[in-house]
Amino acid sequence: MPKYMLIMRQTDAAIEAQRTADFEQIINAMGAYNTALVNAGVLLDGDGLAPEPGHVVTFGGEFPVVTDGPYGETHELFNGFWTIRVGSAEEAVEWASKAPLGVGQSLEVRRITDETDFADFADNDYIANEPELRERAAGN
Amino acid sequence: MKYMLIMHVESAATAEAAAGIEFDDMLEMMGRYNDAMTEAGVFVTAEGLAPGEEGAVLDFAQNPPLVTDGPFAEGHELFNGYWILDTATREEAVQWAAKAPLGPGVKLELRRIHSLSEFDEQLATTDNEYVKTHVLNQKGN
Repeated sequence: MPKYMLIMRQTDAAIEAQRTADFEQIINAMGAYNTALVNAGVLLDGDGLAPEPGHVVTFGGEFPVVTDGPYGETHELFNGFWTIRVGSAEEAVEWASKAPLGVGQSLEVRRITDETDFADFADNDYIANEPELRERAAGN
Repeated sequence: MKYMLIMHVESAATAEAAAGIEFDDMLEMMGRYNDAMTEAGVFVTAEGLAPGEEGAVLDFAQNPPLVTDGPFAEGHELFNGYWILDTATREEAVQWAAKAPLGPGVKLELRRIHSLSEFDEQLATTDNEYVKTHVLNQKGN
């Protein structure tokens, strides 16, 4: 079954509105949503990103250039994600629609690539050893 | 601390650069990079995303949200994949990011992932069942 990533983005106005919102109410809404995803057996992973701007590493020159963030001109920053495994894109969109989000917030739904996307390179050592690499990473 | 390295790609520049690189060589470079991070014990997870054209965007300004087929932003600076690392410091995460086998038209955004300990104050004062479940889950991992 394909895996999909739900990518959360929100505008400055939405972030500002959240500052005055009841934090426990947000926890309850998110908790109910996450529990529903787990109960349905579709949730694989999810994390929130800290609000500090971070850093940007730009490639292409002799050496990568590191600058203090935020990334890009847009204030629609990427703030968190869920990774789910479902049968179809429609099912992924259906789950995304149920997220407890509001004005100024949007979710981008993207399919995560799998071995079928690399079928022409199945005999590449790194492609062949990917399951083993993931297993080792799980031990970190 | 966990950090997410978010790959942003300008399609045109990347397509041009990719034309000069064999896909097999690219796999080799990415594989070596992932191996190095795994050996260093900092690699947590990584995924690549299929093109945004086959994706969708949901706008929660209305209920139910408005679903639009296609990428989040038109044409450029697409979000194409990510790594999650667990390093002792921000500098260490930046150092690993700088070693990624990427080229012109590609940027990595580095962001810290929230940890539960940041919410100690709220956690101490709540009886919330979701929080308690979440705390237990995280402790089990």
